[in-house]
Amino acid sequence: MLNIRIIPVVFAVLFAASAVSAATPASPKNVPVKPDLSGFEAKDMPYDKGEAVLLSWPAGPADVPGAVWQVYAASGKDWVKADEFPADKKLAADIELPFWAWDRHAKLHVVQLDMPGLFNDFKIGTEYRFKVKYVNGKETAESPELPAAPKPNLFNLARLNNLLLLIVTTIVFFWTVSHAKRKGGLFIRRIAGLDAIDEAVGRATEMGRPIFYSTGIGSMSAVPTIASTSILSEVAKKVAAHDTQLKVPHFDPIVMTVSKEIVKQAYAESNRSDSYRDDINFFVSQDQFSFAASVDGMIHREKPAACFFIGHFMAESLLLAEVGATTGAIQIAGTEQESQLPFFFTSCDYTLIGEELYAAGAYLSKEPMLQSTLKVQDFGKAFVMLSIVAGSALLLAGTWFKMDTLVTVVKHLFKAY
Amino acid sequence: MKNTIEKILKIDRRLIFLALTLLLVFPIVRPLGLPNKNIGNEVKALHDKIEGLPAGSFLMLSLDYDPATRPELHPQAVAVIKHAFRKDLRIMILTLNAGATGLIDEIGERIPKDIAPSKKYGTDYVILPYQPNPVAVMTQLGMDMFQIYDKDRDGADLKSMPVMKGIRNVKDMQLGMCITGTAMLDYWVAYTADKFKMPFAGGTTAVSQIGYAPYLQTGQLKGLMGGMKGAADYELLIGEKEKGTAGLDALSLAHIMVIALIVVANIMMLWLKYL
Amino acid sequence: MTLIKKHIPLAICFIVGLLTLSSYYVPTQSSEKYVETMNKWENIVAGFAFLLGLFSLFFSHTRKITRRVDGWGYSLFVFVGFLAMVVPAIVSNGKQMIGADLTGLGWGYRFLFNALSGTMFSVLAFYIVSTAYRAFRIKSAQAGVLFAAALVLMLAKVPLGQMIWEGLFGWTGAWDIAQIGQWLMDVPAVAGKRGIMMGLAIGGIVTALKIIFGIERQYMGKD
Repeated sequence: MLNIRIIPVVFAVLFAASAVSAATPASPKNVPVKPDLSGFEAKDMPYDKGEAVLLSWPAGPADVPGAVWQVYAASGKDWVKADEFPADKKLAADIELPFWAWDRHAKLHVVQLDMPGLFNDFKIGTEYRFKVKYVNGKETAESPELPAAPKPNLFNLARLNNLLLLIVTTIVFFWTVSHAKRKGGLFIRRIAGLDAIDEAVGRATEMGRPIFYSTGIGSMSAVPTIASTSILSEVAKKVAAHDTQLKVPHFDPIVMTVSKEIVKQAYAESNRSDSYRDDINFFVSQDQFSFAASVDGMIHREKPAACFFIGHFMAESLLLAEVGATTGAIQIAGTEQESQLPFFFTSCDYTLIGEELYAAGAYLSKEPMLQSTLKVQDFGKAFVMLSIVAGSALLLAGTWFKMDTLVTVVKHLFKAY
Repeated sequence: MKNTIEKILKIDRRLIFLALTLLLVFPIVRPLGLPNKNIGNEVKALHDKIEGLPAGSFLMLSLDYDPATRPELHPQAVAVIKHAFRKDLRIMILTLNAGATGLIDEIGERIPKDIAPSKKYGTDYVILPYQPNPVAVMTQLGMDMFQIYDKDRDGADLKSMPVMKGIRNVKDMQLGMCITGTAMLDYWVAYTADKFKMPFAGGTTAVSQIGYAPYLQTGQLKGLMGGMKGAADYELLIGEKEKGTAGLDALSLAHIMVIALIVVANIMMLWLKYL
Repeated sequence: MTLIKKHIPLAICFIVGLLTLSSYYVPTQSSEKYVETMNKWENIVAGFAFLLGLFSLFFSHTRKITRRVDGWGYSLFVFVGFLAMVVPAIVSNGKQMIGADLTGLGWGYRFLFNALSGTMFSVLAFYIVSTAYRAFRIKSAQAGVLFAAALVLMLAKVPLGQMIWEGLFGWTGAWDIAQIGQWLMDVPAVAGKRGIMMGLAIGGIVTALKIIFGIERQYMGKD
């Protein structure tokens, strides 16, 4: 006969056995998630010259480690694999465009394809087909094929900040020029180097020795060279008025041609056209040290009373200035190259620093129009100073208070794209 | 005493030149072998950048210096080329300075001899001819370089060379570098590196080095070598001492002489003024 | 006459200036082609201008020789140097090396031009030393600070300087000359450089605007 006390034990054992042998339900982690390819888009890359296409599709939970996205493009029948990358890479935030031209927060995969790099026979406007493929081990998924044709865009919206700044600067420029003729004129602080030009020319006249003027080794498109020619004009007028000898050796033939016109006009304005000679401006050499050696030799032999070194100078600055100093000439120098300024400081009597060079034309000619444009430089500098202070303060605040949006906005506003 | 000091203060500069000459010649004749301990951060950054490039990466090297700045810049170029070849990078050498062509020829002679005898011209490296108008070249390199460089310096077709495989413009290149004694590096940064987002590095003369510190800080330049010291630092990093290291002794003595002269002159000036 | 000498050049300057400026904002192929064309034209103009410069050089020195002015012998060297480089260049078709051999041009470049250029550049070293002795006088507190910074940088950059510093201050264990030098280069020097760069950039923009809008007209000569 069965002992009745064993029945609960049997039930307990049976219950335990059933609990152990029960099938465990499938864990959510092991179920592969299919990527969402319904939002796959292929379109022309915005703000470019028409050689790139932009592909985008939603990012999602399928972007797991180990999975990859493959991008394909085709012009005819054959598909070309354009790109392959881990599934968690290449998101909207990776595209380097500013916030006003691109939504960095969109939860999208974004791939920019450079078409000429993929197809040798690429032509702008030609339609190509694109698709993406998701591969995660044996799990794959493919998007539908979509056509897109890269087209040139008329405006690079990413450079809007730059354009707005240019427009504002131009407006300020025209405003100051239109208000040029004001009572009392514009105050410009004294620039000793420019005031000394009269002294230098006077000294040369008294001593009967020539004046050497060098416009540097820059080309005519270099702004310091343009500034130097403005000063040359004023120096030439004074030289013409005093009937002193002027010599202008040149590094660049185009600068020489322009300087010839400037000096000729200066002599004409001083009613000394009869004293003008074509060989006042002469070409020396387009090699830096050949130019320096030649001018040094001339300075050493002719012992000028005054030397002007104004323009773009590099290593030859000290060679020229030191030789001039040994001859006892009064020397006035100015360059935008701050690495050469120390050499000019030690060897020359007067040195123009940085943008004193650019203000020289207005300072010497005292033309109201030119003087008023100095205001634009002041505006520009004020804007830069304000931007540095405000931008730094905003970035600091954004970092402290963890306001990422503010930090992004400030960084994008002041970046050149 | 006062007269003597005044005479010394107005000493004939030719005597100073003579003293400097003797001080510079001495370590050349009898090297001092001074140890180069401190390597500049910017040189280290450049070295690490090249070191991190995988084999087969493309390096565009623009050698824009002339014989005048050769002692400072040529050792930089040689050191970088040695390092790049050791990393099995492809190198394209070009120049926008007419005076550099002979110096590039010298490098071209040395590569098969001692720099990298195993490297083959056309497969591992190529040398392009001189082109005028730097801005045009820089702009074109960012669009389609074969519009401006269709042949190498010997007139061979460039596009068909194995070294140029997969390269159409600077966006296909992994690193650009300009070694120059002029302001050319400014143009490279503005017209190529920034415009086309190309990783760029530089080599300059010591006096110009400070001018490029802002670019280093903003990341526009990935590394920079400055002068002979920069070349010596790079040679130390790659473990191959050459002309850069050899010149350090003379450089050291010249620096000490300048400091000594300034100190002595000022002491004498103070002596005259107060005693 | 005013139309040709004043108005047309101003109009060309204005139109080309605006087109070049707008090419930065308009990313089309036409924009690119325009910039390429301008660059090519600049090359052509530079080539002709070089010829102009060469004629100016020869004319000026020929006149000095024919008139036997002081130092006319040096003017002969202009022609000697020119022929010494140009004739071998024509003979070797512009090549400096044929195979492993140096051509005449290559020889001239390597043993004349190299040596002369290197010499001119190295003269700088002598001038810097003599200028430092002659002109660097510490007459004010600012000059003293300048000298201190220069001293630290000069010592930091060379091995002998580092050894001297370690000998004098190494026992403190605190000050590494290389770090101080690096800080000087990275902070105050860069700050000054940035300030000057910004001022120059703004000055450059204003000068460009003046030229584009015809306010600066010096380069055109007589009105």
